[in-house]
Amino acid sequence: MLKIISEIKKYFPYILYSTKSKLKSEVAGSYLNSLWWIINPLCMMLIYMFVVVVVFKSQEPNFPIFVFVGLTLWDYFNRIISSSAKLIKGNRNIINKVYIPKYILLIINSFVMLFKFFISLIIIFIFILIFKIHISLKILFFIPIVIVLYLFTFGAGMIIMHFGVYMGDLHNIIRILLRFIFYFSGVFYNLELRVPSPYNKILLTFNPIASLINEARNVLINNINPNFLLLLIWGVISLILTAIGFKLIRKYENSYSKVMS
Amino acid sequence: MKALSVQNVEVNYYTIKEDNINRKIFKRVKNKKFTALSNISFDIKKGSVVGIVGPNGSGKSTLLKTIANIFAPDKGKIELYGNKVNLLSLGTGFDPELNGYENIFLSGLLLGFSKKFIEDKLEEIIAFSELGEFIYNPIKTYSSGMYSKLAFSIMAILDADILLIDEVLSVGDIHFKEKSYNKILELIKDKKRTVLIVSHTTSTIEELCDEVIWIDNGHIKEIGKTDKVLKNYRDFMKTLKNNYNNN
Repeated sequence: MLKIISEIKKYFPYILYSTKSKLKSEVAGSYLNSLWWIINPLCMMLIYMFVVVVVFKSQEPNFPIFVFVGLTLWDYFNRIISSSAKLIKGNRNIINKVYIPKYILLIINSFVMLFKFFISLIIIFIFILIFKIHISLKILFFIPIVIVLYLFTFGAGMIIMHFGVYMGDLHNIIRILLRFIFYFSGVFYNLELRVPSPYNKILLTFNPIASLINEARNVLINNINPNFLLLLIWGVISLILTAIGFKLIRKYENSYSKVMS
Repeated sequence: MKALSVQNVEVNYYTIKEDNINRKIFKRVKNKKFTALSNISFDIKKGSVVGIVGPNGSGKSTLLKTIANIFAPDKGKIELYGNKVNLLSLGTGFDPELNGYENIFLSGLLLGFSKKFIEDKLEEIIAFSELGEFIYNPIKTYSSGMYSKLAFSIMAILDADILLIDEVLSVGDIHFKEKSYNKILELIKDKKRTVLIVSHTTSTIEELCDEVIWIDNGHIKEIGKTDKVLKNYRDFMKTLKNNYNNN
């Protein structure tokens, strides 16, 4: 545990620099450059708004924001999990040349996505102001929700990253699984109202992404306290996943290069 | 004083690289074990230059990668006595979209140097690379010569206590080739540094090394003073060649 902290500390300058580089190189060469980080999520938001309000004529209040909150959380989870299985192979250039604790690669990836997550968040807050949604201090409960989301994604990502080295098709399996989870997480619809009881309760309890999205909407839009017990349980599960991930990677990371070379 | 100690190291590869349901269930093929290195032990004194020789596939590069901690040994131990070890390689961690200046930091930080250290060496690296204003262009626009000049400069100037060199390399045009070769020699001959060199050119080993380790088929065949080991190695290779020709 202490060893991991000191390793992260040692590589933190690299983590930051590499995160910055990755973000920069994504937009390098484009005319609008760093503006893309804002234009991208903003356009997404406007498209959903158009679809929801004009095409489907939704009567539910604040539905565009409702969808965008779900999408922002989902995007973060989806992008990290779907890239994890190939993370080690994609970095074989580094791994075959120098020793680096392999979870550092996942931390960098998570920081890149976290940056985009926060930009989407800023856009959400701007729209919350525009739509004059009542804001209270309950918004602060969004912080533990983000922490649980981060930890759950990170822990699961580490485990997938480890097995991805040995199983070439894990990437495809994960993609199918993610599709499946997507439709059962209520990203585009209100899970509680649209799914018949008791299945909606089951999904909201046992699908961490559905429950986190639901809690996020509650604190940001509906001004309702989150389900603290559920959040705590998923927090503990996430910590266990993270511990398992660290253990797996630290035990086997020095043989990854052999499997790939 | 010892700089590096390798104790009873064994490294295995498995011939089937990835598991595959066809192989596992239908054909019942078991993963074959291939021992690349076994029972390797030696100590290296601080400041010495040691050459490693042996035919292709004898495990020389595997040994360097194991010392650099890119592989873990399946058995045995490698003691570094707190020294920083660096396997020289070109362009570690480069991102082609970024410019040369940013890649110096990216590569340097990845190799475990502090930002301060890199900043101090920055001028020297840029000067050595002879890239001038091009350092602010994305490296994907570089010619292969410019790319290797930059990669070499980073590699040579951000150095470590123990250097592992897989073939002494020199890059670029004739002028830069000479300059880079001399730079490598300068690094090798520095008395503070401990160096391990893998090379097929025995004359290079003869010129640079105090001691030689001869590896054959994953075992240490001989270890000792350069002249003695190299003489035996050359004789061995000659008989090998003669046998081959006779067949």
